[in-house]
Amino acid sequence: MDSLVTSNILQRPLRSIISVVGVALGVALVMLFTGLARGMSDDLQRRSANLRAEIIFTRPGSIQLTSSSTNLSTKYVDRLRQIEGVESATPVIRYLYPSGGVGVDQVEGVEWADFARMNSLQLVQGHGPQQPDEVVIDETKARRNHPVGSSLKIFGDRLYRVVGIYAPESGARAKLTLQSLQETLEATGKCTYILIKVRNPADQIAVAQRIDRELPGNKVQFTRDVFASIETSIPNLGIFLRVLVGLAAIISALVVMLAMYTTITERTREIGILKAMGASRRYIISEIEREALVISLLGLVLGFAMAMGAGFVIHKATNLIFEFGWRWALAAAAIGLLGGAIGAFYPAVKAANLDPVNALAYE
Amino acid sequence: MAAILRAENLEKTYRVGKVDVQALRGVSLAVNEGDFVAVMGPSGCGKSTMLHLFGGLLTPTSGKIIIDGEDLTAVSDAKRTDIRRRKIGFVFQRFNLFPTLTAEGNLRLAERIHANGADDPDRRRAILRMLRLEDKLHHKPLELSGGEQQRLALARAVVNRPAIVLADEPTGNLDTENSTIVLKMFQELNDRFNQTIIMITHNPDAAAACRRTIQMRDGHIVES
Repeated sequence: MDSLVTSNILQRPLRSIISVVGVALGVALVMLFTGLARGMSDDLQRRSANLRAEIIFTRPGSIQLTSSSTNLSTKYVDRLRQIEGVESATPVIRYLYPSGGVGVDQVEGVEWADFARMNSLQLVQGHGPQQPDEVVIDETKARRNHPVGSSLKIFGDRLYRVVGIYAPESGARAKLTLQSLQETLEATGKCTYILIKVRNPADQIAVAQRIDRELPGNKVQFTRDVFASIETSIPNLGIFLRVLVGLAAIISALVVMLAMYTTITERTREIGILKAMGASRRYIISEIEREALVISLLGLVLGFAMAMGAGFVIHKATNLIFEFGWRWALAAAAIGLLGGAIGAFYPAVKAANLDPVNALAYE
Repeated sequence: MAAILRAENLEKTYRVGKVDVQALRGVSLAVNEGDFVAVMGPSGCGKSTMLHLFGGLLTPTSGKIIIDGEDLTAVSDAKRTDIRRRKIGFVFQRFNLFPTLTAEGNLRLAERIHANGADDPDRRRAILRMLRLEDKLHHKPLELSGGEQQRLALARAVVNRPAIVLADEPTGNLDTENSTIVLKMFQELNDRFNQTIIMITHNPDAAAACRRTIQMRDGHIVES
């Protein structure tokens, strides 16, 4: 063993492992949180991008990220169809419920034929929902062991029969008939929102203004705005993620600082020897920094592996989607390495400033 | 013969609590190139302080130290470290090897510190051969006997061809047999390579192996 850095790391394996795991946890934390936010955001955007309707007509505040209410009368559908520029309108109930695992799941009640026609959905297997206990699902959900003919639990223990699989994915991954969901929610004649397809997409602003004028007191929104990125729709999510990154950096730095501080105390005599051998302050600082960087690098690799592994397991066990982006991966790498380097700096300077005679006499 | 080390009127006072303790009280000394000097005297007489001053590990309260033409007392801490790196090799009573490194690793570390990563395996092997440590290259210090550890420490001290080797009771932790072997190695280094050595010792036999003996008492050189 010829390298002081490597031999020092191997000399105290438990201390080294704890330091590496400490850095890894900070890195994994950043990767997991940002991967989750990105995965959910991209998934929502991807699905909403497949909605062909340009306008959503609803009650103010009836659609939130984790809840929705069914308080809009379906009678508006006929009135909307009468408005100039509207090609078609179809009511939708969006219902969010605890998924049974981690997070929130959602189901939609639709008039399947109208909804599919408006949004260009195709059944790739089976048929549309007709009976109260029938459900159609998208291909992503079908891949999770839900073939046509299988049963699907929605609202806790209530069983629904999968009668069709559609593509592309759009909105909620499971769709019942509108009537079925109305009865389940005891909301006969109600829906959450009405999707409106305009004759000429270029006129959507004018049509929206017309709807607002003719049916005041409701909320007229453009589809593209409603299902915007989660990162922008949740207030201060960006700040939250950045604070998280900052905390991870502090944790990494503190772990490495503590480890290196302990190391310096343990090796006071060895630092005295280095000084007696003529090692400069810069040399001593660089040796300690190199050791911290090796620990940080190992923590970084372990952190990435932990994040990937945890992301995979969570994705398999729940409906949560992880997407690891380069930007956050680089941020996590910077946190691991910089945190380590900064954390080791104070102990390194302290070591470099030790009095050599006192250090040599240290027991 | 040119003096490779010259100390002029060296004084060193330590502050211990509120009391000033005068460890050296005006030491003047010249050591020529190729000298093998024993420094003897009772505990607390200032031997180690003087050695640390010569090695640039301490700075004197007053006085001057010239090593190989460079004034150790007129330079910054960084420059003093640089002089120590280039001109001084230390050997300690407790060996002070790096226990996690092999014998070769300990020598390579000294080379790296000395010359920013330079690696001279031929020189390393020659020294290990001379000190009869050739077959111990891949052993860690704790796998070596006390005598072998001290020889390795000596190898580390001389691997970079220092102007002076400063040895602080190098046989203090060794039995008679190993003391004799280590002293022979010092003599061989002195004879074959004209290596200048200043060695603190309490052992009259060790002092007898040297060419010159300095006696110290109460911070003074009383016999040179």
